[in-house]
Formats: sequence, C-alpha cells, structure tokens
Amino acid sequence: MVWENIKIALTSMVHNKMRTLLSLLGIIIGVAAVVAILNLGQSVSESITESMNVGGIDMVNIFPSGSSRELNVFDEAFGGTLMNNVDGIEAVLPVASSTTRVRSGQDILSVSISGVTSNFFEVNNAELLYGEYFTALDNINRRQVVVLGKDVADELFPVGNAVGSYVSIFRQSSKRYLVVGVLDEKDSTLGNSFDNTIFIPLNTYGQRFRRISTMSSYTCKVYDGVDATVVSDNIENYLNDLVGSDYFMVMSAASLVEMSQEVMNTLSTFLAAIAAISLLVGGIGIMNIMLVSVAERTREIGIRKALGASPGVIMGQFLVEALTLTIIGGLIGLLIGSLISYAIVNLAGWSLYFSYSAVVLSIGFSMFVGVFFGWYPAAKASKLDPIESLSYE
Amino acid sequence: MSENVIELVNVRRYYIVGDFCVKALDGVSAQIRKGSFTAIMGPSGSGKSTMMNLIGCLDTPTSGYIKIDGEYTNNLTEKELADIRNRKVGFVFQQFNLLGKQTALDNVMTPLLYAGVRGRERKERAEALLERVGLKDRMKHLPSELSGGQKQRVAIARALVNNPSILLADEPTGALDSRTGDQIMELFQDLNDEGRTVVFVTHDRGLGMRCREQIFIHDGKIVEAL
Repeated sequence: MVWENIKIALTSMVHNKMRTLLSLLGIIIGVAAVVAILNLGQSVSESITESMNVGGIDMVNIFPSGSSRELNVFDEAFGGTLMNNVDGIEAVLPVASSTTRVRSGQDILSVSISGVTSNFFEVNNAELLYGEYFTALDNINRRQVVVLGKDVADELFPVGNAVGSYVSIFRQSSKRYLVVGVLDEKDSTLGNSFDNTIFIPLNTYGQRFRRISTMSSYTCKVYDGVDATVVSDNIENYLNDLVGSDYFMVMSAASLVEMSQEVMNTLSTFLAAIAAISLLVGGIGIMNIMLVSVAERTREIGIRKALGASPGVIMGQFLVEALTLTIIGGLIGLLIGSLISYAIVNLAGWSLYFSYSAVVLSIGFSMFVGVFFGWYPAAKASKLDPIESLSYE
Repeated sequence: MSENVIELVNVRRYYIVGDFCVKALDGVSAQIRKGSFTAIMGPSGSGKSTMMNLIGCLDTPTSGYIKIDGEYTNNLTEKELADIRNRKVGFVFQQFNLLGKQTALDNVMTPLLYAGVRGRERKERAEALLERVGLKDRMKHLPSELSGGQKQRVAIARALVNNPSILLADEPTGALDSRTGDQIMELFQDLNDEGRTVVFVTHDRGLGMRCREQIFIHDGKIVEAL
C-alpha cells in the first residue's frame, strides 16, 4: 500500500514538474542551509584541531612594519624589554630575514635566510635530521656557520650528508659557511618557514651578511597554560602605547583560530536563520501544494472511497505523498548543501569533513515538515464526503 | 426461495437545505433477492440516486434499517462502511469514474489493494476479469486511450474484482451511444446469468424494462407503476 502511494505521488510529481520544484524550493533551501552549517562547523573544528596539532598555537608573532624612526625600538634587545612589560612570555626570538642565493659546487639556489638566536630551533620544535644546531658561542663569536632547511639540503646535497661541507652565501661577494646541521621537514608556522630557509647566527647575520636596523619579526613563546590570545592582546596594547598601531602587526595562531570561530559562529547564526525561515516557508509551500492537490483530486478521492478506501487509507495516501515530496526536497537540499560547503571549504583552504549527522538531520527535518504540514491537507482529504466528491467536476 | 441480499425497512433520508427539509426518501421498504436483475426506476429527483447511495453504503439513512448481505449498516463507522463498500458492493457509474492516471489494470487492482490482497494475486485476479470483459489487450492502457465502451468494461471489471454481493450500476449506459450501450447491457445480462446480483438504476423506461424485476420510485416513495 505504501509503495503504491509512493508511486502515485511520484506520478503526479512527474506530471507537474515545475509546480513541484517551486513548491519544494523552501525545503531545498532550508535543508541545504542546515547541511552547509553542519558540514562547515565540522570542517572548521577539525581544521582547528589540526592546527593545534601542527603547533604554533602557543606562539605570538610580532612583525614591525613600515620604515620610520619609531622602528628603532625593534632591535635585538627588544625581546627583553617586552618580557619585562608583558606577562606570560617564556621566550622572545628575534628573527632577521631576507633572501639570498646559496651555492654548493655547481648548484645555486634562491632561498630565504634568517638570522636567529641559538634557542630558536628548540623553542620552535624544529628537529634536526643531521648534525647540530649552532650554539650561543657561535652567535657571540659571529661564526660563519649555517643550519639548512630540509629542501635546501636536498637540493644542494642530493647525495651524502651536508654536515661538514661548506656552502657559499651571496651578499656583495660570496662567503663560505660551514654546514653544522640539517633540519627535518617542518610545516611553516605563522612567523617562520623552515624547509626552504637557511639559518645563520643572528650576530653573524648583522655583522657579516647585512646590517640590522630593525628585526623582521619576533616570535614569542607563551608559557604552558597561558592563553596566547590574551598575551597577544597585551602585547598589542603595550606596542600601541610604545610606537602606535601603524608600525607593527601582531599575529597568533590562537587569535586566528578565535577569529575563524567568530566568523563561523556568525555564519552559523545567519545560516540557521535562513534554515528556520526556509523550512517554515517551505512547509507552508508544502501545505499549499497539498491543498491544491487534494482539491484537484476531489473526484479521485470520491472514487477511491467508493472502492472501499477508509478515511485512514486516504489520509495515509496524502501523508505519504507529502512525505515523498519533502524527502525528495530534502535529498536535493542535501546535495546542494554539500556542494556549497565543499565550495566554501575549498575557498577557505580547509579540508572538508562530511558531517554524517547532516544526512540524518536533513532527512529527519524534511520528514518532520512533510508530516507536520501535510497533516491538515491529508485530514481534509480523508473527511471528504464520498457522494459530493463523486459529483465534483 | 432464495434469500434477500438487500433489505430496506422503512428507510427515510432527509436533507436539511436552508429552512427546508427535503425528503429524498420517505419510508421505503424493499427486498432484492440474491441473483436477481433489478431496475430501480424513476424520473430525476425521484430519490433513486439516494436509494442507490444508501444501498452502496456511501450514505446512511436518517431512520430505518438497511441490511446488505446479512449485515446491518446502521451505526457503522466510516471505516466499517468503507469495508462494506469494498467487500460487498461493486459500483459502476455513468461517468465511468476511472482513475485517470492509472492503467486499466491498476484501476481494476485498486479495490484489491484496499482489501489487503497481496500483489501477485491482485494482478492475477484483475487480469482474469479484464479478460472476462474482453479487454485482454488493453490492460496497460490509460483510460484516456480507451473508448467509452472500453472504459465502462474496465469499470465493470473493477466492480467485480473483489467478488461483491451486489453489482450496483448507476445509469451505466447513459454516456454511451445506443449500440455500445446495448453491448454493456448484454454484459450485465450475461453476468446476471452467471449468478451475479445486479441492481440497475435508470430513468430510461426502455432499459429498465429489459431488467427482470423493477422497483419504481416517485417523490421518495415506492409506487406500483410509473
């Protein structure tokens, strides 16, 4: 009986394609919005979890910007000043960066070069593949030693161990640097990249490579258990007072996460509102189309009653029809919502995590709408008088 | 002495229309025997349609008793009345009243669907009846693809498919040309010969007199002759 009713519903949908599609629009939009919310929510929270795992969530990066006398404060000693004025910072790593070319034998590469302090690697959890980090003494003595990123080492030394070899780093003229270590692969953090970068001691950088007027950036590590977003805000306030907001930028993974969560929440609220309104409007659309359908088929209802259909059977027929309608709308909405979330996730550069509860929920929602808004028309059909219905033209 | 398949005892059916009370049936008592071929005759407005609706359990009397194949229909719920229509009454209408979007076969299977007969048996029984009324090669056609006579044959097959106690025909030849009408009339006579009880409602004296028995109705009452 249910199958026959579904068949009847599908037949009448095919006969009235345009009308059916229009009346389903509300449900489609509503369900698409719900599915998009759930998929995006899932994807964002998974992406956040991922970025936590990558690390850098306990780091705050400061980027001096512009060129002005105010920028003179951003020297090597600024880290100490900052730690004295803002609580919660465990270490400040000054970084001076530029680009250069580096040569070994016949191979020449364009790379990023960073002058860093000897604790830079440990604080950033940059692990060694070969050799050792350079030492505080190397820094003090401005030795010409270098730690290579993984990709640089692979390019310059495709075979064998780079450690102990010399590379030439170009400035005005090329200078020879002893390779003391090679880093393992490591994803970039907000402040620093690793694989395509070579690292020399900060003092060597200033003395022998390029005079440092202003640091390129500072990476601040906060203590365990301290909220990086709070530290980030405090640093910002401190720097606002010190140099004014035009001359620096503060960025942290934590505040980015917070920002994306805020965006996500706004988006969710917006989509939830669309969903609620669409489902309501969609439901009314369903009720409308079912009332039209009942009126159009008054004679059919009379015939069916004459053939022995009880009120319950007629009620069932029209409820199944409303349900078939809304479930199809729900499936279309599910498809569209998935495509939308896929598109947004792609644009945002997250990876898509498909929310399976979205499937259950969208079908559940559409069934609820079908039963709720299909009830009145179906009840109306079931109560029609058979004699009057049979003489209906 | 064969038993009565339909008994009406002092049946009244009044309608309130505005301030008026329309006495569509006003104290009708009648019996129709099993296996008979009875015409209910009368001019339009005489109450014969009301009587047919009451016998067919589409309507219930204001007072009096109706017994269909041993069951009283008073105080039955909508569901119980639907059940009687399904099991005991086969309707044939002037306007055929086929389900327009369904094939001849689906139309004939519909009463069996409501009777809860399983799919395969539904199909077998419907096919057998369509064959019986001479529409073996028209089963998959929609009503719009059939002639008037063929539509009425589908309707008759549908009326018979659940093996009802009464075949209740309301002006079944009214929408057909006279030659096709004759053929349908012959089909009813054949069915009666096979033992079916046929109740034939008509205002056409010629057709009515071709039935084996007649009940005349005038102004809501049974009369001896018209």
